[in-house]
Amino acid sequence: MMLDIKKGEKHVRRSVLLMFVVVFTICVCKTSVRAESSPVSEGQPTEIPQEEKTPVINKANEDSELKHTVSTGQSDNTKKEDTTPADTTQEEEEPINNDVKAEPPLVKDPLQPYNRAIFTFNDKAYHYFIKPIYTGYNSMIPEKARVSVRNFFTNVKMPVRFFNCLFQGESKGAGTEFARFVINSTVGVAGFFDPAKSKFHLEKQERDFGQTLAKHKMNSGVYIVWPFLGPSTVRDTVGLAGDAALNPFGWISYFFLTPLEGFGNYSYDTVNDLSIDKGTTYENITKPAIDPYIALQDAYVQNRIKKIKE
Amino acid sequence: MNYRKITSALGIGMLSLAFISPLLWAGEPGKLLMETIDKGFAILKDPSLKGDEKVQERRQKLWKEISPIFNFEEMSKRALGQHWKSRTPEEKDEFVELFTNIMKDAYIGKTDTYSGEKVVIISEKQDKKYATVQTKIITNKGTEISVDYNMLNNPGGWAIYDVIIEGVSLVNNYRSQFNNILIKSSYKELIQKIKAKQS
Repeated sequence: MMLDIKKGEKHVRRSVLLMFVVVFTICVCKTSVRAESSPVSEGQPTEIPQEEKTPVINKANEDSELKHTVSTGQSDNTKKEDTTPADTTQEEEEPINNDVKAEPPLVKDPLQPYNRAIFTFNDKAYHYFIKPIYTGYNSMIPEKARVSVRNFFTNVKMPVRFFNCLFQGESKGAGTEFARFVINSTVGVAGFFDPAKSKFHLEKQERDFGQTLAKHKMNSGVYIVWPFLGPSTVRDTVGLAGDAALNPFGWISYFFLTPLEGFGNYSYDTVNDLSIDKGTTYENITKPAIDPYIALQDAYVQNRIKKIKE
Repeated sequence: MNYRKITSALGIGMLSLAFISPLLWAGEPGKLLMETIDKGFAILKDPSLKGDEKVQERRQKLWKEISPIFNFEEMSKRALGQHWKSRTPEEKDEFVELFTNIMKDAYIGKTDTYSGEKVVIISEKQDKKYATVQTKIITNKGTEISVDYNMLNNPGGWAIYDVIIEGVSLVNNYRSQFNNILIKSSYKELIQKIKAKQS
């Protein structure tokens, strides 16, 4: 009896906490959206965050070459040079002069001092804590097994991709995800293998809630670096909450596991991913960089823009 | 009679091929790119160059094969962006050298862990002297990485001026970094930072 009450209390406390987090993020996000959208209505196009501006431009001209960078000055040149008949020597020097002033960053970063501190913390945590864990894990578990584990987690998280496909109006993608789930859960032995891709050529649809929000015209908001989770924006943080709500693992751990077990489950998935390629990607970006913080920020934002555009 | 016909037909065929094919293919950015990548893979697969003790020799050979396809001056120019114009010719030369070294250190080292990755060409777009070649790297784990090469046709032939990996443009990435440093400090300090990194 006592136990039951305690358990109930725990649930209530947890759900109140969850509610609070969600409400808080939505508030933060709303204020930031308002702050960003107000200049637009006043007719200052320069204030439109880059990510929202680019897709429109891209739709206008099919040329895929420039992508997000249309607004970052330099690549603007390429466009001009591309479209105008090549006028030899003059053309090569000219464009650079033209956009001397206009080189706004891809994302606003008013929290930079805080973000840099967290970045440094994350970097240290990665090199002294997380990397030793996954290299140890690497040496114990063969690569094939690690890929299988990833396949398993990917398969279980199918609802995240399936629903986000639907939210983004991609019924074909949703169909592909559904077919993948059916094939991989059965022929692929509960998802440990990926015959849907290798035999049926059904590609995984990388869709998340951050993209959904972007497709529904939400601005990216300011850049935030979260401890352990790494680079994000206001929009992608809300997206993470949305994805967590769609993630069956979240529900399993919420109802059947203690917070510690749930966290362990999540960490295992993360470590496994890091051991396959995430770790190398992080190092590939930060190691050759002159300013690793900016390099990671820029890579994150550029990559997000690509994923939203797809 | 018949024999002669065949030989003459063959001869004409060969001749026309010899004339037409360079016209069709020569200087085509995608072909040049794939040839260079194949040359690189040949070195990485060469059994006589395998192993940790051959690292330096292998990297050197690889750099010799691969570096001509990059237009490092154009890359440096774009990476420095608005700040390129106000540099003196000496500073420009110095910067190109430093930037070339950044690229070399960062990306030749990556090849040490080569484990049978494949490169597939997906599409190729060309607009006058600009071209984009879209490729995909397929790792042995089955992961696919999209890599686009932006190329420019200079008098020396087609050369790469930007590499875009999963939507992340290398040149833009460095430009963000350089800009950020140059907002707060001088060009000299930037050069010092790059040099400190390389020493």
